[in-house]
Amino acid sequence: MKILIIEDEPKTGDYLKQGLSEAGLLADLARNGWDGLELACNADYDLLILDVMLPGLDGWQVLEGVRRAGKRMPVLFLTARDQVADRVKGLELGADDYLVKPFAFVELLARVRSLLRRGKSSLESTLLKVADLELDLLSRRALRAGQRIDLTAKEFALLELLLRRQGEVLPRALIASQVWDMNFDSDTNVVEVAVRRLRAKVDDGFQPKLIQTVRGMGYRLEGPA
Amino acid sequence: MKSLSLTARLSLLFAASAVSVLLALGWVVERAVQNHFVEMDRHDIEGKLSLVRNLLASAPDAAALAEVPRQLENALIGHHHLQVTLFAADGSIWFTSGAVQFPPQPRGDFPQWMEWREGKNQYRGVLARAETAQAPQLTIAIAQDISHHAVFMRDFRHTLAMLTALAALLTAALGWVATRAGLRPLRRLAALAAQIEASRLNERLPVAQVPAEIESMVVAFNAMLARLEDSFRRLNEFSSDIAHELRTPVSNLMTQTQVALAGAREGEASREQYREILYSSLEEYERMAQMIADMLFLAQADNGLLKPGDAAIDLGHEVTALFDYFDAWAEERGVRLALEDLRQPDAPKLHGDRLMLRRALSNLLTNAIRHTPRGETVWVRLGSAQARLQVSIENPGAEIAAEHLSRLFDRFYRVDPARQRDGEAGAGLGLAIVKSIITAHGGSVQVTSDSACTRFQLGF
Repeated sequence: MKILIIEDEPKTGDYLKQGLSEAGLLADLARNGWDGLELACNADYDLLILDVMLPGLDGWQVLEGVRRAGKRMPVLFLTARDQVADRVKGLELGADDYLVKPFAFVELLARVRSLLRRGKSSLESTLLKVADLELDLLSRRALRAGQRIDLTAKEFALLELLLRRQGEVLPRALIASQVWDMNFDSDTNVVEVAVRRLRAKVDDGFQPKLIQTVRGMGYRLEGPA
Repeated sequence: MKSLSLTARLSLLFAASAVSVLLALGWVVERAVQNHFVEMDRHDIEGKLSLVRNLLASAPDAAALAEVPRQLENALIGHHHLQVTLFAADGSIWFTSGAVQFPPQPRGDFPQWMEWREGKNQYRGVLARAETAQAPQLTIAIAQDISHHAVFMRDFRHTLAMLTALAALLTAALGWVATRAGLRPLRRLAALAAQIEASRLNERLPVAQVPAEIESMVVAFNAMLARLEDSFRRLNEFSSDIAHELRTPVSNLMTQTQVALAGAREGEASREQYREILYSSLEEYERMAQMIADMLFLAQADNGLLKPGDAAIDLGHEVTALFDYFDAWAEERGVRLALEDLRQPDAPKLHGDRLMLRRALSNLLTNAIRHTPRGETVWVRLGSAQARLQVSIENPGAEIAAEHLSRLFDRFYRVDPARQRDGEAGAGLGLAIVKSIITAHGGSVQVTSDSACTRFQLGF
């Protein structure tokens, strides 16, 4: 999995590259639009992370150039301008997702992973498993060590999300958005409470503990290594 | 094109009025003089007509009749502007005292009055029957030269035109002076208005000293100044609030980092300490990022950039979804959430932006849940009246004092400043965002509070 970051802000670029590398993803960094366009057209990347505001060639122009060169990799836009018009323009030009600066790195990582997963022909399994936890999507049943766990609809949706993206740290905002369709930041600990309750049902009295809190970032469901 | 100055306009209007009045007056006088001339001429001509008739009537026989022309000539001495002609029955001239040709007359009733022009002269005259026993076949024609009247009228018109032009110039000039003087209060106002600056918005134009006509303008101008002053004040407060809000977390971060760097830490325990410091920093960063995002949102709202769109939104559905979201959290706090839908079946649908409305409702619900004592219930009531939709969110809890209510929607305003940094409450932008969103949707939001409960009411 190779990712190209096109970002002119030196610190942001370096940290993105370092962060993605530490998350096990290979990342190249271009510091302006021209270099970025050249790299994107001449090498095979699985994902483009593109800053809108670039000196010289801006993000829109880079995207147009990349698409004209016949490259179809997904593109994640980074924009400092929190404006609807920008989003519409980006999505019209074929961007797949966008993040508004300032963003949390985990949020970026989660989106990058979901973009990378997209398009990969994975047969949607109806039975999700990790360790001795089983989730049957058809019968809407959850089993831990063979024991039935009673879950509310939202708890089930939350567990399904954690299972589908096991091993990944899921930020609270992403969970709120995916499970409750609440696409804004709340200053409450709603997600925290929901996860705590789910954990009480899924992990209490069982070993190993599957749902982990990654402090300052979010939650992760992971089986024993 | 720049429009004509008020002074020029008024001067022109004055001149135009003076000209019209003078022209109308001139016309009336001219008609009167003309009529007077006609009367006078007729009187003269009729006098001569009766003279001729008397002479004809006084001739007892044909011999005496033959004397009439001589008598007429005598009678007409000195009357050189008057000509008498007597036509015989066959149209031939029996007698004439001058050379003026009478225009051919259509047959008609006598006496026949006429006016005609011959060469340079103008004449008025009459044709009449002699109506005497001795000479019934004679036709009396009398012509009077009225050229001097025409000359008089020409002179009169000439003088009138001169007078009118002069009056136009004079009234325009006087009008200009008068208008300049009349508009002096306006110029004084302009001079005063020119002195008002952002730093002196508390100044007002004097209403008492201006004429009644521009008083309403001055009042409106003062009202505009008041609004501007208020906006400026809010803006200034907002800027200083932002600075204040950011100063605390930034100084926290700096102190923390400096302390961490100052002490030499090694080993496993200190690694844990570093992690602690980073986590703590992360929390501050998140809070600041959230505040910045909220302020950006409000700035967009201020600049009219919030375009709500027009997706049909079912408020009942939205509230249920939000209840679902807050369910676990509220339960932990021992607060029940209840929805009462009192909408009429034909209640209008709300059109707008789902995300924004959810955010607004979520902010209101968050507040309500936070301030509800354990074991109590937050009520959301939906209602409709005619074309209006109403949402009320009410929670039991401590009363909010009246002095806070009006400022509740202000940015960074907190009822209890001590709650500011206890982590749970936001930066004090939540309700300001609610107001921006509801306003962008053309709605209104009000808050009332008594000892039993606090109620936020939205109307669309």
